[in-house]
Amino acid sequence: MNNSKYLTITALTKYLKYKFDSDENLRQVFLRGEISNLKIHSTGHLYFSLKDETSKINAIMFATNARRLPFKPVDGMNVLVTGRISVYETTGNYQIYVEDMLEDGIGNLYIAFEQLKAKLSKEGLFDQKYKKEIPKIPSRIGIITAPTGAAIRDILSTIKRRFPLCETYLFPALVQGANAAPDIVSKLRQADTFDLDVIILGRGGGSIEDLWAFNEEIVARAIFESKTPIISAVGHEVDFTIADFVSDLRAPTPTGAAEMCVPNISDVLTQINNYNIRATKALNKKVEIARVALDNIKANYILNNPIIMYENKKQLIDSYLEKIKTFIFYKVNNYGIKLDNIKANYILNHPKELYSKKEMNLDNLITKLELLNPLSVLKRGYTLTYQNDKIVKSIKSIKLDENLVVKLIDGNIKVNVVGIEVK
Amino acid sequence: MEKKKKFEEKLKELEKIVEELEKGDIDLDSSIEKYTKAMKLVKECDTELKKVEEQISKIVLENNETKDFSIEETE
Repeated sequence: MNNSKYLTITALTKYLKYKFDSDENLRQVFLRGEISNLKIHSTGHLYFSLKDETSKINAIMFATNARRLPFKPVDGMNVLVTGRISVYETTGNYQIYVEDMLEDGIGNLYIAFEQLKAKLSKEGLFDQKYKKEIPKIPSRIGIITAPTGAAIRDILSTIKRRFPLCETYLFPALVQGANAAPDIVSKLRQADTFDLDVIILGRGGGSIEDLWAFNEEIVARAIFESKTPIISAVGHEVDFTIADFVSDLRAPTPTGAAEMCVPNISDVLTQINNYNIRATKALNKKVEIARVALDNIKANYILNNPIIMYENKKQLIDSYLEKIKTFIFYKVNNYGIKLDNIKANYILNHPKELYSKKEMNLDNLITKLELLNPLSVLKRGYTLTYQNDKIVKSIKSIKLDENLVVKLIDGNIKVNVVGIEVK
Repeated sequence: MEKKKKFEEKLKELEKIVEELEKGDIDLDSSIEKYTKAMKLVKECDTELKKVEEQISKIVLENNETKDFSIEETE
């Protein structure tokens, strides 16, 4: 038996691998399928299967490629993958080595949108407190959008029509495709250094895939970090992107953004005219008040009739003179009366009266002194009680069967205490 | 980057002066002074708005250089 016609497994596998690898068609394959059995290895490599209704292929995505994915692959997700087909010699399985992977279908995009929206909202990127004020009349406006197309045309023509006084700076950016998000981010950063009053970030309408760059996390974060206020204007009225939520103001369309950004020149002219009218009115009022005050002064009676002032004074002097005259007369008269009174004084005319009055006063004094003598009290029938030659002042000092002396005006009674009644 | 006062600042200043004038607690001399200033600003703003002939529109290149830009060219 010739064993040489038997191949080793290795040899066959190598041969098959060579067949796969040398086939042009298998070097770059675009596959559409659903992820299943996904395992993320600790090294970051992704192992999974791609399947459709009837078939299945194993897939591997190395960490270097997997790290760049803008979304988190999960089982059941529909994806578009790019890769090469080759054989894994250890198991003899053919598989696809995935280099790039995109989410397929709007369903997946909505999932990613909702995931990011929830995440950024939780972080506070949409909080009202971070919203910067949009200046009412900007001087320098930045525009980040594609340099061609409806969006830039609408924005510029609207600004030019409404408020040509301001300057616009266009930062041309890719607004669609895989490179759009990083390009928008770099333009946002560039524009932020340009001393602009406001930035309009936007693009015209399109499908959700077309607008997708505005739903990317890096764009959201760049908008959030911008020091210049940002108005977002992505797509149509009904399109909401993450960029809209994180921007300081959301405009429904690029034209709308331009309208929100600058005032209408005729409104500003009206406003200036109003200030003119108000200032003039205010000043006229001031002048009128001052004029009325001046008129009042001018209309003053005295000023118009200065002689009145003099006459008043003359009258005053006359009245003072009259008062002084009266006063002097009164004084002189008064002293005359006083002198007469003194002259008529009774005592002066009857000095003896003064003496006899004093005599009477002496008698009165003597009588008063007698009243103060304690013994004289006895004259009126009162008695004094003595205990051992001391006047008894309180019942408390008396004992029963004690001998006391009661003094009357004309003699003493010796008594013995037979009872005590306290009041 | 700018020498002259921004338009919005002028308008805000004008508004402030008018409000001060309307308050009326200032004397006639300062009122006249403020009014003169207000009229100067009114004239400046008005002229600035009316004299503008061409709206300045630039495109900014990667290296921060700016060039004139107009939408007509791109159409």
